[in-house]
Amino acid sequence: MPACVSNFFTRLAACLATGSLLWAGNVFAQPVEPTPASAQTPEPVGAATGPAAVATEPLGAAIYRKSCAECHGKRGEGVTGKYDDPLAGSRSLPSLVRIISKTMPEGKEGTCTGPDADAVAAFIYDAFYSPAAQARIHPVVESLSRLTVAQYQNSVADLLGRFRQGFDRPLGPQRGWRGVYSGFAFSTPEEEAENRELVAKKKDKKPRRPEKFERVDPQISVHFGPGSPDPEKMIPEEFNVRWNGSIYAPETGSYEFVVKTENGVRLWVNEPDEPLIDSWVTPGPETREERKSIFLLGGRCYRISLAMFKFKDRSASVELLWKPPHGKLETVPQAQVMPQEIATNMIVKTALPADDRSDGYERGTTISKEWDQATTTAALEVAAHVEMTLDALSGSKAGAPDRVEKLQRFCRRFVETAFRRPLSDAQNAALIERAFQAAPTPTIAVKRLVLFTLKSPRFLYPELSHADGFDDFSVASNLALVLWDSLPDPALWKAASEGRLHTQEQVEKEARRMVDDPRTKAKLRGFFQQWLDLERAEHAAKDTVLFPEFDEALHSDLRKSLFLFLDEVVWGQAPDYRRLFQADHLWLNQRLGRVYGQTLQGDEFQRIVPVRGKRAGVLTHPYLLSSLAYNRTTSPIHRGVFLSRSVVGVNLKNPSVAVAFEDAKFDPSLTMREKVSSLTKNASCAGCHGVINPLGFTLEQFDAIGRWRSEDNRKPVNSTVDFDAEEGASLHFTGPEDVANYAVSSTHAHDAFVRQLFIYTIKQPPAAFGVETLQRLRTQFATNGFDIRKLLVDVVMTKASTGIPPAAPKVAGN
Amino acid sequence: MNPLNRRAFLRNLGVSAASLPFLSALPSLNAAAAQGPRKQRLVIIFTPNGTVPTEFWPDVEGEDFQFKSILQPLEPFKSQTLMLKGVYNKIKGDGDQHMRGMSCLLTADHLLPGNIMGGGGAPAGWASNISIDQEIKKALQARPETQTRFGSLEFGVAVPNRADPWTRMSYLGANQPVSPIDDPYQMFAKMYGQVKDKDSLVSIMDDVKDDLRKVAAKLSARDKQMLEEHLTLVRSMEAELKAPAVHVEHPLPELDPGIELVNDNTPQISRMQLNLLVNAFTNDMARVATFQYMRSVGGAQMRWLGIQEGHHALSHEPDTNQEAFGKLVKINSWFAGEVAYLAKRLAETPEPSGEGSLLDNTLVVWTNELGKGNSHTLDNVPIVMVGGGGGFKMGRFAKLDNVPHNRLWLTLAHGLGHTGLKTFGQADLCEGGILPLS
Repeated sequence: MPACVSNFFTRLAACLATGSLLWAGNVFAQPVEPTPASAQTPEPVGAATGPAAVATEPLGAAIYRKSCAECHGKRGEGVTGKYDDPLAGSRSLPSLVRIISKTMPEGKEGTCTGPDADAVAAFIYDAFYSPAAQARIHPVVESLSRLTVAQYQNSVADLLGRFRQGFDRPLGPQRGWRGVYSGFAFSTPEEEAENRELVAKKKDKKPRRPEKFERVDPQISVHFGPGSPDPEKMIPEEFNVRWNGSIYAPETGSYEFVVKTENGVRLWVNEPDEPLIDSWVTPGPETREERKSIFLLGGRCYRISLAMFKFKDRSASVELLWKPPHGKLETVPQAQVMPQEIATNMIVKTALPADDRSDGYERGTTISKEWDQATTTAALEVAAHVEMTLDALSGSKAGAPDRVEKLQRFCRRFVETAFRRPLSDAQNAALIERAFQAAPTPTIAVKRLVLFTLKSPRFLYPELSHADGFDDFSVASNLALVLWDSLPDPALWKAASEGRLHTQEQVEKEARRMVDDPRTKAKLRGFFQQWLDLERAEHAAKDTVLFPEFDEALHSDLRKSLFLFLDEVVWGQAPDYRRLFQADHLWLNQRLGRVYGQTLQGDEFQRIVPVRGKRAGVLTHPYLLSSLAYNRTTSPIHRGVFLSRSVVGVNLKNPSVAVAFEDAKFDPSLTMREKVSSLTKNASCAGCHGVINPLGFTLEQFDAIGRWRSEDNRKPVNSTVDFDAEEGASLHFTGPEDVANYAVSSTHAHDAFVRQLFIYTIKQPPAAFGVETLQRLRTQFATNGFDIRKLLVDVVMTKASTGIPPAAPKVAGN
Repeated sequence: MNPLNRRAFLRNLGVSAASLPFLSALPSLNAAAAQGPRKQRLVIIFTPNGTVPTEFWPDVEGEDFQFKSILQPLEPFKSQTLMLKGVYNKIKGDGDQHMRGMSCLLTADHLLPGNIMGGGGAPAGWASNISIDQEIKKALQARPETQTRFGSLEFGVAVPNRADPWTRMSYLGANQPVSPIDDPYQMFAKMYGQVKDKDSLVSIMDDVKDDLRKVAAKLSARDKQMLEEHLTLVRSMEAELKAPAVHVEHPLPELDPGIELVNDNTPQISRMQLNLLVNAFTNDMARVATFQYMRSVGGAQMRWLGIQEGHHALSHEPDTNQEAFGKLVKINSWFAGEVAYLAKRLAETPEPSGEGSLLDNTLVVWTNELGKGNSHTLDNVPIVMVGGGGGFKMGRFAKLDNVPHNRLWLTLAHGLGHTGLKTFGQADLCEGGILPLS
C-alpha cells in the first residue's frame, strides 16, 4: 500500500476514533477545487452559519467566504463596483500572505494575520490566483488569426519579390554609393587649333571628347562650386553624375528624402520607372530643397538612384538627406547605403486598419468591415501592379507563342507562394486552368487569380495553410510568419519540398539561419519598441525653459543611442540578456555628450562609461528615463510601473481610483519622492504602490531628461528602498544597479522577458502551447546563458514545431 | 430593345454582364430633366514641328475658302471650321523657339530662367504662367453648374517619358507643368478604374465564398465563427457591388487589349485616346481637354505612312527638298485626319442632355508650336478650330493682322463663359482685348 493512502486511512481512523468528523468530512466532501459560483447561495459576511457549513469548510475557504468574497467574488472573479479585477496573478504565496496581512480586509486591516492569513492565501492561490489555477480554470488555446498589418505588407512584398531577379541577392559588406561621373575633356592645344581652322572654314567644330570616371562615394554631399568633379580633366560647363545603390530601411514608416541643389536632379527610390523627385528643370539659379516622402517596410533594402546634371549653371552641388521615422534630417549616412542595386519591393500603399493591441501586442484575432474593404483595395492594388509588370514577372511577352503557358506557370507559383504550399495538378486544373478558360483574355485571368488569391482565407489566415494536415510546408509557413512576419523564402520552400523540415534539429537549423536575416532584425526592433514602450517615448516633450537642450535633434540622437546599445547587445558577440540591465556604458556623440556630461567630438557615436552616475543598461538609458517623466519633473510612478511590469515581472492592476499627479498641490519644498509617497499613502493604493514606488524611487538620481543628479529640490536624492520581491524576500536596493542585479537573477523577471518576447513574436499566449511552455522556455534561457538569440529560436520553435514529434532519445544502432 | 438584345448590344461594346447594373440609367430617361445654359467644351490638339504653309493656308479669305491638301480630311466639317492666320506667338526671352513654341503656347508668358539648353538662345526652365486650358477649367470648376468630376483631362499620344519644356504645354501655374497621360489603359483606369474594379471583384466573389466555406468546415467551432463573420463581410461586399451605381450613364468604351506603347502603334493609340475623350465628354467627366501628339521637336518615325525619317529631321529640310516636302504634307495631313476623326465622333454623338451633337457644343482647336519647321518661326502659328463651342462664326478663313496669341486665348475663355478674364499671360500683349470672332 502506498504511503499516502496508508496515511490517509490512518488519519481517517484517528478522526473516527476521536469522534470528530471535521477533517474527515472535508477530505471527502470538499476537494481543492471550489464548487462553481452558481451552485452556492450568497451569504452575508458574519451571518450565523450552520454547524454543517463550518464542518465541511476548510479554514482558508471559510475566511475567504466570510471576509473576502463580498468584494472579490465567490471565485475571485471580482465584483462590479467593489473590486472589479479578478484575483489572478504571478505573485508567490508568501508574497500574497504578506499583502493580506498588511492590507486586508479593507477597513479592518490587521485582522487577518498569522495562520489565518496563511490559510486564506493558500486557498486563494490554489483555487484561482496562481497561473496554474488560471490555466486549469480557463484553458488557453491558440486562436485563429489573420495576417496583421505588418504580416500583410511583408507577405505581399515577398510574394512579388519571388518573381524578381536578384530579389534575394545578398548585398556585400561595402558601404557607399556607386557614382558615375560623365562630362567632357578639356581640348588640347592641337584640338583648339584644329577647331579654329574649322570655324574659319565655316565648318562645325569637332565634337568634344567625353571624360568619364566612377568611384564609390561615402555620402552624396558634393560641392563643385563653379568647377567640375575633376578640375584637372573635366570641363566645368557641362557634366552629369549618377549615383546608384541600395538603401537599408531599419524600421517601417515614412522616410522623407530631401535633395538640396541648384542643378537639375531626379531621385528614384524603390520604383525604377517613376522618380520620387523629378526636378530636372530648375526653377531658378538658387539652391533649392526638393522633398518627398515614401513609405518603406523595415528590415529591407531598396534600390535608390540620384541623377544630377549641370549645364552652364553658375555652380553645382548636391546633397541627399533623409529623415527616417523618428529620426532627424541628416545626410544619408554611409552605413545605410550599399553600392549594389537590388530588385524593386512591392510596397502596398493601401492603408490597412490598425491591429487589435488590447492584449499588449498586435494580433489578428478580429476582423471588421474596414479590414475586409482594405484588403480588397490592397488586392486590387496588387492586381494592377501585376498587370503593369506582368512581362517581367512572368518572363514572357505579349503575343509570344508561349505567353499563355508562361502566364499559367506564373499564376501557379503565385498561388502556391501565397498559400504557402504547392498545388496538386488537380487543384491547378480546378483553379488556374479554369480561370484561364473563363476569362475573356489571359491577362484578365491573371488579374482575377491575383485578386482571388489575396482575398482567399488561405492567404489571409496563414494557419489555414495546414488545415488539411501538418507537414514540412506548415513548418516553413510558421517559421517565416513568426520570424519575418512573412512567407517562406526560396530556401525554406526548397527545404520543405525536399522534406528537410521533418525533425527538431532540421527546423532549428533553418530557424538559426533565419534569425540573421534583416527581416528578423526589424521584427526584434519592433519587440524592443513594444517592450520598452517607445511609442510613448516618441511624444516626450520637455519644458523649454528648464531643459532648453532637449530639442528634436537631441531626442532623435537619444533614440539612436538606445538602438545602438540594443543592437550591440542583441547582434553582438554575446547576446546576453543580463547586459541589457547591467551594462554601465552609453552610446554618446558630441551633442549627447554635452548634455550627459562628457566632452566629445563629432557626430559619431562612441561607447562611453559616464564619469558620474553609474548606469544600468536600458533601465537608466536617458531616452527611457526622459520618456518616463513629466515635462518638468521625474515621475517615479511611471518609472516604477515600467520596472514592475516590464522588467521585474509583477502584474499590476489598474488603479481603483485614477489620481492625477498635480505638482502645484504639494508643499513646494518636498522632493518628488516625498510627494509621491504622500499621494499614494492611502491603503487602497498600497497593494500596487508598495511595489511601484520603491522601484521608481531607485531611479530618482536621474532627472526628467535622464541626467544624473545628486539633489532634488535642493535636498539630497534618496534612492535607497526596501522592496518586497515576488519570491517573498524583502530586498534592500540602493539604486538602479540593484534592480538590475535582481532582474537578472529573478525567475519572475526572466518569465516577464520571455513572455513578452513570446507574445510579440508568436502573437499568442505561451499557455496556448501548453501550460508548462513559459517555464520550459525560461529554464532553457537560463541554461543557454541568457542568450537572447537562442531564446528567440526556442520561442520560434515552440510554434514552428507544433506537430513535429519531440526529439526522440537516441536509440543504440539508430 | 428587349433585354436579350440589350445584353448583346453591351457585349458588343465589350462590357460584361457584371457591369449591367451600372448602365441602368440611359440618357433618354434623363434628357427631359436637363435645363439651363448649354454645356460647352474645349479640346486643344497639339501637333509638332510646324506646318507646310503652302499646303495649309487657303488662298481665299472668307466663306468661299478652299481647303489645301493638308486639310482635305476636314472637308466634311468645312462649314463648322474656322481657320485663323496672323496669330503670332510674340513671347520673347530665354529658351529656343521650340521651347517657347511649346511651353509659351498655352501659357502666353515668358519662360523662367533655368538649366535646359535648346538649339539656341539662353537656357530656360518651366513656363511662368497657368495655361489657358487650366485657366478655363479652373473657372468652370468654380461654378457648381459647370463643375465636373475631373474638370479637365490631359491626353497624350506617343509623348516621351520625360518632363521638360519641350514635352509640357499644360501648366497649373508657374513651375507647375501637368503631365499628359499617353497610355490609354492608364487613362481608362483613371476614368473607369472603380467600375472595372467592381467588375473584377464580382467575378471572384463566388470562389472566395466557396473557399471560405471549404476551409471553415475543417475548423473548431470557435475558429469557424471567425470565418463565418468573414463570410458575412464578403456577402455584404458582394451586395454592395451589385447595387446600381449612378455615375456612369454611358457604356464604357472598348479598348483593344494589349496594344504596346510603341511608335508603330501610334495610329491605334491615337484612336483609343480619341474614343476615350469622346466618352469622357459623353459621361460629362470633364469639359476641357488637351490632346498632345508627341512633343515639340518630336521625331516620330511615321512608318505607318511609309516614312522612315524622323518628323523633326524632315521639318528642317529646305523648301526645295521636294521629297521632304511631300512627306511633311503627308504627316500633317495624317494629323488633320485625326482631328477629323475626333470631329466625326463628336458629330455622331448626340449631346447627352440637350439638343444636337457633342460637336455642336465643343470647340476643337488644332495648333502647333511653330509656324513653319525649317524657319522655326513663331509667326502665323497654325490655328484650325472646328465645332460649335465658343459661339464663333464658323465656316470661314480669317486673316488677322499680326495678333498676339494672348488675345486668341482670351477670346476663347470668353467664348467658353469665363468672361471675368481681362488679360491672359503677358499683359501688354493683350492690348485690344478679345477678337471679334462671333
